[in-house]
Amino acid sequence: MRLLQKTSRTYFLVSGTGFLIAGVVFYFVVSLFFKDQLNEKLHHDIKNISRTIMKNGTLPNYYPFIETREVSAQPEHSFKTIDTLIFDGFEKRKIPYRQISLITVINDKVYFIAARDTLIEEDDLLEVIAIVTGLVFVLLLVSLYFINRKLSLKIWQPFYKTLNELKEFSYEKPRFKLSSESQLYEFTELNKTLEKLTRKVITDYQSLKRFTEDASHEIQTPLAVIQSKLETLLQYPDLKKEQAELISSTYVYALRISKLTQTLLLLTKIANDQFPDKKAINLAELIREKIKMFEDHILEKQLTLNKDIDPDCFIETNFFLAESLIINLISNAVKHNVKSGTINITLDKNHLEISNSGEKPAVPTTKFFDRFYKTNESSDSPGLGLAIVKEICRLNKWEINYVFEENLHKVIIKF
Amino acid sequence: MKILIIEDEKELVRAIKNFLETEGFLCETAFSYFEAEDSLSAYIYDIIILDLTLPGGDGLNLIKLIKDRNRQAGLLIVSAKNSLDDKIKGLDMGADDYITKPFHLAELNSRIKSLARRQHFDGTNELIFNEIKINTDSNEVFISGTMLALTKKEYEILLYFIVNRNKVITRESIAEHVWGDNISYADNFDFIYCHIKNIRKKIELNNGRNYLHNIYGIGYKFSER
Repeated sequence: MRLLQKTSRTYFLVSGTGFLIAGVVFYFVVSLFFKDQLNEKLHHDIKNISRTIMKNGTLPNYYPFIETREVSAQPEHSFKTIDTLIFDGFEKRKIPYRQISLITVINDKVYFIAARDTLIEEDDLLEVIAIVTGLVFVLLLVSLYFINRKLSLKIWQPFYKTLNELKEFSYEKPRFKLSSESQLYEFTELNKTLEKLTRKVITDYQSLKRFTEDASHEIQTPLAVIQSKLETLLQYPDLKKEQAELISSTYVYALRISKLTQTLLLLTKIANDQFPDKKAINLAELIREKIKMFEDHILEKQLTLNKDIDPDCFIETNFFLAESLIINLISNAVKHNVKSGTINITLDKNHLEISNSGEKPAVPTTKFFDRFYKTNESSDSPGLGLAIVKEICRLNKWEINYVFEENLHKVIIKF
Repeated sequence: MKILIIEDEKELVRAIKNFLETEGFLCETAFSYFEAEDSLSAYIYDIIILDLTLPGGDGLNLIKLIKDRNRQAGLLIVSAKNSLDDKIKGLDMGADDYITKPFHLAELNSRIKSLARRQHFDGTNELIFNEIKINTDSNEVFISGTMLALTKKEYEILLYFIVNRNKVITRESIAEHVWGDNISYADNFDFIYCHIKNIRKKIELNNGRNYLHNIYGIGYKFSER
């Protein structure tokens, strides 16, 4: 809901209730006031009539407004007020009248004197009041709406400008400056705070990136020295078997550390979203290419490869990440396979499924995507492949699931 | 052929220098940005190995200097950053190839020789080892004049061996060279044995000698013995 909608709605609700209450009160006040006036007038009429009878001895009659007659009843000394319906010849219906009557003695005779006047019908009054309040209400709402709209367009304009600029925000841009200027304290404060925040985000990001790169350099360089020294050592012509084996196993471990740091750095980089360049990538083509990379491994394990791949499957993502994802998935499917097993790859515009035959997992599969998780403790692989896959999916907002069914390990990614 | 190694890690430079000198290259070294500037201003090199992370300045800035002063030099960038940005920037600025730390010396050697071949410094695109001749333009291998029918991977492995002749080459280095560094080292290397067995067989069938020696199960050496 937009701000304007929200305020308009509140205005409408509050003023609507207000007007309803005001209308009801107005109605009662008006009808009370009117009846009061009417009573006063009718009392006054009766006094005038009595005076006329006393002076002239004639009985004025003007039906239905004035009615006088001699009666033989006992005189009463108080006024009697009743509301009554009297048939009106013109309107051909009964109309409500207020009647004030008195039975009194004038010149030793007993008279019945009644003065009447029409009551404004309550329905009519209600109608008039409803129409008037309604009109005022609508007028008020319309003017409020236009004032609000104009104000919010004008006042909120710097806010929307800031918002649009924030949407363009990226870590990669070294400078981020909000261009909108406002006379309003709230907005200048907001912009100041945002600028401070984004500056901090950018510097934090850059120092993190710098750290990652430096850490990488500081670890990889000594490893490069170790590796090159060991390779140099291997070149000695009179090397004995035991010596060569010692060198070789040291060498393998150095390589493993190197691989591990590279993978951890990759994970950090993915988590920091350091792969901003996205483009449409032909996943089918990429998969075909990466399968080729593994064809020796597939052949060696005598695996059967079943493909159901939509050839024009383009996915918007970073190329390097897509590559890592596919390599890790295929590598897993090969590595955790059994001799003469199968690999099935299904790809369409909505999902990618890679499944492979293999042993039933002995442990809960929910941990499969955790870092350093191994199904087999003696395994040489550090167990980071699926963690990388998961991070890549998270970054791209893809849904990833693992199931084991029909003796197949299945990884399903929904784009 | 003269090579300039620009790298701040002295021990690594020493290892590279030793290795390349046994290959007959003349190596000079620069340990910092300024030393590199000096050397580049004073001399002409055939191939330059440049580490991007240097004390005293950004290695990327040196690329410009190299392209101004040593236009014809082959430029191989080394970086530990493994960052795609640097790779793309470096290649855009005119670097010829890119290698990530840590690397195998045999791989470095293979890249340098490939650069040298590409620039035809030795005036030929042929590699000759006794009766074996490799044409690196057409990717053909001949044994005493008879063409050998090799698969792409067998060709790549054989070329790698001949480029690094007389050197012990580890299985890991071969795997990374041919299959890329995405294949885990922890895997078994049966697929390499398989290719090497085929290469041996094909060379033997064409009356070639067996130069491929297994070194204690850790790697191979391509030599006369």
